[in-house]
Amino acid sequence: MIETIRSVVSVLSAFVLPTLIVGFPLYGLIKGVRVYEVFVEGAKEGFDVAVTIIPYLIAILFAIGMFRASGAMDYLVDLLDPVLGLIGVPAEVLPMGIVRPLTGSGSAGLVADMINQYGEDSLVVKMAATMFGSTETTFYVIAVYFGAVNIRETRHAVPAGLFADFVGFLASVYMVQLLFG
Amino acid sequence: MLNYIWSGLIIGSLLFALTVDTQELAENRFRNDQALPVTLEFPDGYTPEARRQPVEIRIDSARYREMFGTDAVPESSYAGRLVQTEEGRKVEFDPDASFPEPLATIESYHATDDNPALRGILTTAPSASPGTPQLEAAVQFEPVRFRKLRSIAQAALDFAETAASLALSLIGVLGLMLGLVKIGEEAGLIEALTGVVQPLLNPLFPNVPEDHPALANISLNLLANVFGLGNAATPLGIKAMEDLQSLNPADDTASDDMVMLLALNTSSVQLVPPALLVSIMGLQVNQLFFSITLATLCSTVAGILGTLALHQVPYFRATAPHRNADAEDSADETSDADEREI
Repeated sequence: MIETIRSVVSVLSAFVLPTLIVGFPLYGLIKGVRVYEVFVEGAKEGFDVAVTIIPYLIAILFAIGMFRASGAMDYLVDLLDPVLGLIGVPAEVLPMGIVRPLTGSGSAGLVADMINQYGEDSLVVKMAATMFGSTETTFYVIAVYFGAVNIRETRHAVPAGLFADFVGFLASVYMVQLLFG
Repeated sequence: MLNYIWSGLIIGSLLFALTVDTQELAENRFRNDQALPVTLEFPDGYTPEARRQPVEIRIDSARYREMFGTDAVPESSYAGRLVQTEEGRKVEFDPDASFPEPLATIESYHATDDNPALRGILTTAPSASPGTPQLEAAVQFEPVRFRKLRSIAQAALDFAETAASLALSLIGVLGLMLGLVKIGEEAGLIEALTGVVQPLLNPLFPNVPEDHPALANISLNLLANVFGLGNAATPLGIKAMEDLQSLNPADDTASDDMVMLLALNTSSVQLVPPALLVSIMGLQVNQLFFSITLATLCSTVAGILGTLALHQVPYFRATAPHRNADAEDSADETSDADEREI
């Protein structure tokens, strides 16, 4: 049952990008659009967008990099551990919950570490991997998406994103416990 | 908001690094002034005039634990070599050896590209006659001071570089997707899609006028996210953000709709696990299909509800770019003037 759904989804997902890449120009051609010229015109923006987000990305990433290098993250884990223990979150997955919204590569490294340490079949690895798969690197998304349109006053974007991350974190723990525990 | 988090991260890391460093200095964690007693064994016999010769370095674990005050146990013997330098005789451990703490930290602190090995000056070694198979000696490692302070500075430099190369590496895919979307716009495909997704997305993005292409781009972005196409989703999300920005009366302040799009992106439902996770876990990822999908479903619902709730918070309401338009059709100049006060 799981396998069937999973394979249907993976077939579907294999088709999404090719359909976009071929479908748009094909449809354009039928509608009489000068596809090549229009494509180039649109693609030209790619460079500008990339350059626009550089300062935002530097600002976010270097601050997060410093914070990680200072070892403050481990301290935060010690601090939060007793609180989250109360609601049934194992201490081992806590670093993942803290690192995930901050850095994508850092949390990928964490999953790899945990596989080495606890084995692929352990519950905590399943939890951490589910967390990795279910939430995005919030601060990166903020830097890239808002940076691209030069938004500096982010208003409630950070709390909204972190709230969703937190719920995703708890949901990962409980779902894995429910499905595999 | 981000101002405080950002400065908090920077100041916090400095304070934290200083605390750790002072603590380590106070308790002299790396025994900067003490030499570690070792036994050197010469497989070929000791040659006093050789510039470098192989040695086996034996560390007595009891004395190691006593000196550093740890429970860690060193291996019974390490490969290495004895080198004659201007500073005296130096012991270099094999760079590939794995050390217990705090030796591991001492090694990484002094490692350079040219010389990654753990090394220290030989002290209190009696002058031995040629051919001696074994020598009782002590190794004085170079001192370790302010290592956290150094590493946060290094991290700042490294990550600034990473950020720039990361952004530039996006250019190709950005160009591809933005080019395709442009064709879609010209061909009327985006317009057609807008009609389909409007009833679904309109409640979440109330400030987007009917039949505006923003909704179509948002739905393409969300679709790419659901199917785990991270690289394709980002440019589409940026395109959707640009559409929302064109509807935003403020230049540099996020509108409610933009915050909603962001929340949907960070919490998006995922049917396909991200490629990075697949590369780490291999096929094991298959069994996580349901847990990932269900967890993202929860976080998406939470993201939507949380964002809708935050829209209503007076503190954020006061800075909403659309607040005047909501009340009545006020002139653009007033809203611009308001923005400047904030």
